[in-house]
Amino acid sequence: MLAAPLLAEEASGIGALGIDLSSLLVYLINFAVLSVILYFFAYKRILGVLDARSAKIKESLEEADRVRVNAQEQQEQMQRTLDEGRQEGQRVLLEAREAAERYREQQQEQARAQSEEMLQRARADIETERDAALEQVRAQFAGLAVTAAERIIRRSLDENTHRDLIDEVLAEGETMQSQE
Amino acid sequence: MVKVFAGAALIMVLVGLALGAIGAALFGNQPYIPLPEVHLAPQEVLTIAGFTITNTLLSAWLTTIVVILLFGLGSRATRMVPGRWQGFMEMFLEALYNFIKGVAGEKFARPFFPILATMFIFVSFNAWMALLPIYPTVGFTADGHHEITTHLFRSSGTDINMPLALAVISFLFAEIWGFKVHGIGYLKEFFRGPNPLNTFIGIIELLSHFIRLISFTFRLFGNMLAGEIVLGMMTFLLVFLVPLAFYGMELLVGGVQALIFMGLTLVFTVMAVATHGDHDNEHSEAGSH
Repeated sequence: MLAAPLLAEEASGIGALGIDLSSLLVYLINFAVLSVILYFFAYKRILGVLDARSAKIKESLEEADRVRVNAQEQQEQMQRTLDEGRQEGQRVLLEAREAAERYREQQQEQARAQSEEMLQRARADIETERDAALEQVRAQFAGLAVTAAERIIRRSLDENTHRDLIDEVLAEGETMQSQE
Repeated sequence: MVKVFAGAALIMVLVGLALGAIGAALFGNQPYIPLPEVHLAPQEVLTIAGFTITNTLLSAWLTTIVVILLFGLGSRATRMVPGRWQGFMEMFLEALYNFIKGVAGEKFARPFFPILATMFIFVSFNAWMALLPIYPTVGFTADGHHEITTHLFRSSGTDINMPLALAVISFLFAEIWGFKVHGIGYLKEFFRGPNPLNTFIGIIELLSHFIRLISFTFRLFGNMLAGEIVLGMMTFLLVFLVPLAFYGMELLVGGVQALIFMGLTLVFTVMAVATHGDHDNEHSEAGSH
């Protein structure tokens, strides 16, 4: 190392600027080397990470959009399901009411029919009973008539006796009927 | 508190004024900082196998190493959730990338990025590192003298070979992309047919492409050299505090120059890759305005 005289200091004109081909070449090579090193060790890495981050942000935004759309769709679907459920509930309730109404009417109709039937049956029974009773009364009356005839035949009857006899027979008949 | 700082600053300015060249002229003493020597050409530090290593070249290598360490270590283990350093690297490079994308579009932004970003980083860091105290204070003295005659490091922007090398890269970058996109048809930009007016325009266009080499070179060289001289002179004249304002300005100049260099290369490359039809459209639109 040494302190040296100035380069091209003695030169004049453009030469005084110190233009030197070898220095020029060194600067060119220096720049090329610096460019290559920075390209591989800085630009490529930094731009790469910037690109990756940009892609990730883009992807995240798209994902967020997708999630938002999905959530919206799900919310709409839930709302639809809820509406359908509500409508279904209303329908079931209505049907149940209708069924209950139908059942009530059916039961009423059935009860009415049963009571009618029972009434008919009772009436028929009463009719039968009455007929039987009348038959029985008739038979008893016939018996009484026969008895009365026998008694008439056995005694000569005046008018008063005849009447008393008839009253007696009728009274017996009523007594028998009330006993039955 | 503000008054204390203001008072201290005023005292420093006055002391600097007294110790600097202005005070030396007034009081007849030697200036605290020696008059800076202005060298257009870089200074030789050592020679290895016939190759001269200059202080500007050393500075370029130092910048290269620092940049590789900063950006290489910053992006050593990239993660999706970045740390502070990675976050800073990402912010810095993404800003550059968006700038390039804004001009060149999505299609060309990625292939243009490595060269253009390196241009910006190298030019700016080179200018900013030249503001470090080791640049003007470390060097070699001549025999029997105390003053430094050869600095160990000097901003490589002040060495015309560095701006020229970048200008060559910028020129080649634009032209190679022009040929890459249009093939041999790119030459139609310069050879526009038998019409004398078109021929003239083609020649002017061709010249403008080569003149870019000169404009690129001297813009950067001039600004960097002027910055170095301004800083040296202000330190020589006022010593304390006031030169700091110029250091701040040079910090800005370094970034602006890097942005201009990268931006112009980008614009010229975009013009080269644009179709001739696009050019015609642009011209007709410009004409209509």
